[in-house]
Amino acid sequence: MASLTLREVTKAYGATQILKGIDLEVADGEFVVFVGPSGCGKSTLLRAIAGLERVTSGRIAIDGRDVTQERASERGLAMVFQSYALYPHMSVYRNIAFALENLRMPREEIDARVRRAAKMLRLEPYLDRKPGALSGGQRQRVAIGRAVVRDPKIFLFDEPLSNLDAELRVATRKELAALHAEIGGTIIYVTHDQVEAMTLADRIVVLQAGKVEQIGAPLDLYNRPANRFVAGFIGSPKMNFLAAGSAPLAALAAPAGARTFGVRPEHAMIARDGEAADARLSVDIVERLGGESYAYGALQDGAPFCVRAGDALAARRGDSIGVRFDRARLHWFGEDDLALGA
Amino acid sequence: MSSTQAPTQAAPKPAREGLGGRVVAAALGLFDAPMAWLQRALGLGAMPYAFLAPNVLFFGVFVFLPIAINLVYAVTGGVNIYPSQRPFVGADHFRALGDCASFLDPATCREDHFWRGVRNTLVFTFFQMIAMVGSALVTALVLNRRIVARGFFRAVFFFPVLLSPVVVALIWKWILQRDGLLNAALVAAGGEKILFLVEPTWAMAWAIFVSVWAHMGFYTLILLAGLQAIPADIYEAAEMDGTPPTRVFWRLTLPLLWPNLVVVLVLVLIRGVQTFDEVFVLTGGGPGTATLMVVQYIYETAFANPVQNFGLAGAASILLGALLFALTMLQLALARGKSKEARA
Repeated sequence: MASLTLREVTKAYGATQILKGIDLEVADGEFVVFVGPSGCGKSTLLRAIAGLERVTSGRIAIDGRDVTQERASERGLAMVFQSYALYPHMSVYRNIAFALENLRMPREEIDARVRRAAKMLRLEPYLDRKPGALSGGQRQRVAIGRAVVRDPKIFLFDEPLSNLDAELRVATRKELAALHAEIGGTIIYVTHDQVEAMTLADRIVVLQAGKVEQIGAPLDLYNRPANRFVAGFIGSPKMNFLAAGSAPLAALAAPAGARTFGVRPEHAMIARDGEAADARLSVDIVERLGGESYAYGALQDGAPFCVRAGDALAARRGDSIGVRFDRARLHWFGEDDLALGA
Repeated sequence: MSSTQAPTQAAPKPAREGLGGRVVAAALGLFDAPMAWLQRALGLGAMPYAFLAPNVLFFGVFVFLPIAINLVYAVTGGVNIYPSQRPFVGADHFRALGDCASFLDPATCREDHFWRGVRNTLVFTFFQMIAMVGSALVTALVLNRRIVARGFFRAVFFFPVLLSPVVVALIWKWILQRDGLLNAALVAAGGEKILFLVEPTWAMAWAIFVSVWAHMGFYTLILLAGLQAIPADIYEAAEMDGTPPTRVFWRLTLPLLWPNLVVVLVLVLIRGVQTFDEVFVLTGGGPGTATLMVVQYIYETAFANPVQNFGLAGAASILLGALLFALTMLQLALARGKSKEARA
């Protein structure tokens, strides 16, 4: 297991800057998730750490040792690919053993390690099968097994769950969390799914357009987003944004320099009869999920807005309902979109 | 959705726009009347056979009929070209071809040229296969890398495939003959002339080389397609696994390329056995019979010799055809085995 340090890492393809100076410290044993929209550079950053992409400038160090100029094979890392990248002509056993054979490890040692990994990942019945004869979830576990047997310094996961169906994704997510608890390795995990990021990470790195927007524990990002982008990216449904000084905010005292106001749907409430409302929502759509409901519509000044309600929201399309904001959970952003008073 | 919006009408037929479209539509319309008439005359059930008929007719006239006629010639004798005037001789021609004191020495055979042709064809095919597959594989591996002007080099290696075999042979003849380009270069460099097409070993070696040069691009293309079908992330996984380049080649590239390699091997084998035109133009089968191939023997026996022995040539053709049929079956079996394994 190892720590990782990135200093001013940049990557450019010709004139296109993909990574614009990334600084990051990952502690030994930490589970760090890179999250961001498509094209934000998160996969490129992971591949740069792996050594599959050369960085344009900057430094990458593993356990304090500079590996920037080292080949991927020399860095001692293991990667689980989005496509799994299993060797199609080899059995599950050979797939998992392949890297160990490269190390010229004794045969008994290889066998012991492969069987241990297969047991942990419930792959024992499939060791003689080829990847083509496995389900998506089983292939996924083979790919993880291939990484685990090597006892790598750092595990790299590149969107490993994106090819699984929704149910399997949830199950595999839990298995990954359990796996990390069991083997305790340093893990860097790339995803565009903020639920995966929130549930798996010790710390989340939010990336956008090749830059780090914020690094922090999942709940810190949720409760104290550093800027408007992170506020909008973390949380589902998205945070509502209103222009500071607009009519629905008349009852609120905006801090100096505020340009944008933000409140999450779960921190807005529907005003009961007789209760004073901050704003009025004209309802377009109501989503009823069973345990909770979301009402989408527009406030009196036309700004789109979403509010979470209990399971028995009776409102229908065209209704006008009063909305109150939870005074303790409001966010204000300045001219530069940075959070105010954080 | 607003209910005031008119539903879009589904067009009954795609309207053809512009002059070109109308011309095409009019041209296609010309077939409507005869097709309708044909369908009325034959009934709907017979229409597929009506569409197949022209092709089957051509195939029959130019493939099946010659095979049948060849059979007739093989079992009849004499020099007459009309089958009705040829006496039936049974398996005489096959017996003549097989009349050898020792099959290891063509000189002891009644039809020594046939057996020399067989031996030359085997030697040619064997060495040509090794040289062809080896060089096509190396070329494909190089062209699959990110090299400068990759597209240009791909075209360069494929270009000879587009040339007529006769053109290829003539070009190389001008290079290799006694007063050819290569000897001029040798002399200019202070060396002595080498009789490339007169020395038996040189002649066979050059025949193999020219054949490889002319056809390698085609096999390179097949192998290149196979290499490009191997997903790049498998190589990245191998890199992460710390795999040395030689092991990547033997354990990943070669096994994953195997289906394409089998296709190439068998095609080279089949076409090697069929070799005629290039070698015939380059060396004429000479010196002596050093580069005489089976197909050339058949051609000369039937058409070029003073006595045109159609029967003997027909019998030799049947033997050659049987060999090619066996090779084709081998290819089918290997290809099926592979695709079954891939599905497993």
